[in-house]
Amino acid sequence: MSNPAQKAFSLEGKTILVTGASSGLGREIALACARRGARIVITGRDASRLRETHEQLAGTGHVRVTADLTSAEDRERLVQACGNIDGLVLCFGGQMLSPIRQLKEELMTAMYRTHFLAPVMLTQRLLQTNSINKQGSIVFMLSTAAHIGTRGVGPYSAMKSGLLGIIRCLAIELAPRKVRVNGISPSVVPTPQLWGEDNEQNEPLNKERARHPLGLGTPQDVGNGAVYLLADASRWVTGTTLVMDGGAVL
Amino acid sequence: MTAADPFSLAGKRILVTGASSGIGRQIAVTCAQMGAQLVVSGRNTERLAATLAELEGDGHAPIAADLSRQEDIDRLAADAGTVDGLVHAAGISKLAPFRLISRAQLDEQFSSNVYAPMLLTKGLLAKKRIANGGSILFISALASHVGPLATGVYSASKAALLGAMRTLALEVVKQGIRANCIAPGYVRTPMLEGLNQGGGSIGEHAKLTPLGLGEPEDVAHAAVFYLSDASRWVTRNYFIVDGGLTVPMDIYA
Repeated sequence: MSNPAQKAFSLEGKTILVTGASSGLGREIALACARRGARIVITGRDASRLRETHEQLAGTGHVRVTADLTSAEDRERLVQACGNIDGLVLCFGGQMLSPIRQLKEELMTAMYRTHFLAPVMLTQRLLQTNSINKQGSIVFMLSTAAHIGTRGVGPYSAMKSGLLGIIRCLAIELAPRKVRVNGISPSVVPTPQLWGEDNEQNEPLNKERARHPLGLGTPQDVGNGAVYLLADASRWVTGTTLVMDGGAVL
Repeated sequence: MTAADPFSLAGKRILVTGASSGIGRQIAVTCAQMGAQLVVSGRNTERLAATLAELEGDGHAPIAADLSRQEDIDRLAADAGTVDGLVHAAGISKLAPFRLISRAQLDEQFSSNVYAPMLLTKGLLAKKRIANGGSILFISALASHVGPLATGVYSASKAALLGAMRTLALEVVKQGIRANCIAPGYVRTPMLEGLNQGGGSIGEHAKLTPLGLGEPEDVAHAAVFYLSDASRWVTRNYFIVDGGLTVPMDIYA
């Protein structure tokens, strides 16, 4: 790292906690951060997939903690295991669709626990234990669903919009410590877990592709967005959202 | 850094307007540090030469131009060569309460802040001088969303860029060219100092901003993201870089 601009985009010397790192976007963000020099703490529910992520991380000193973040006990165990961090990326999630008319309380509660309560209460414990260093960065993985209305996506949309409120208020609360809080809102990134195999028969995916002028995104694209929001390059960016959507038009 | 670094600008040629001072100058300096070859443009030849002297690496070129003049826009589009990145950082800001605004003030600020970036982009596109996969970046301002007192003309001109950017992005996407806007808050620049001499106060701006007054580097780093392949999938987008200034304001209402 020879000059100020390159240093600003490096993650060397930083420890970054990535949730939902056993697959999809979380895994790719962990890999991208490790490539730029960060020490990574990864967490996820699936121990064997989390180990796969761990084995792919560049560099050494990384830690993995198998945990279900909807459980307060697991969150506490993670907070104790991870020590002080400079970056936090909250990717843990999972899609469930339901038109509001057919909505079941069980589904709505599950969405709330997974997409809202888990990331918010994990952040709360990390702050209460002074685990987030000054000039740190917190990144909530949102979705364009936080900003737009789509049939059947109500429960998910509502939780992601709810996190916008957390991002704004937390940005103000943490500004005196120069800790910044932002979201990333990707549109459709065809990870196999969420979208199935990307082929000609995958009608929903091909329909989505058609309304994105630049086509669909890749986990690497979202990983690069996360790197920018975690690096010192974005030290003056807070309370906002990076929308990554290939220029999507409705 | 390796050649595969998505944030590197090595191998990219980038034209920056307004490069003789403030945000434009810093974008040029930072892009050069990330490996880009720069074409820097500005009105003041001395200050432009000073920017040029600060650029890391070789092969950079200055083109002095007053972009309020169509012949200068045409000359810049003709002489800049093919570029992978285009940053519209040139702009002016003059305060006037609404009841005192005049056609001359509208002409002057729209000419620099709206017509110049639109017509320079048009000139380069017509000559096919923006490379496939290129990135066009407009430096708007939070005034586009916020509208402080006495900024009617300036705010209108900066808001106009958002509309221009969105339709441009759709039209150039077939060539894989992207178009985006950055909207900075209060940044330590000669423009802000100029406004302060007109009665404002840098200290007040800094106090209003949760993370304090911004530095030109903060906007330049955002520009690097938007110019590099790291933002390959981002177009038709505006991004607020303001140290949290607008977080307590309902700017989307």
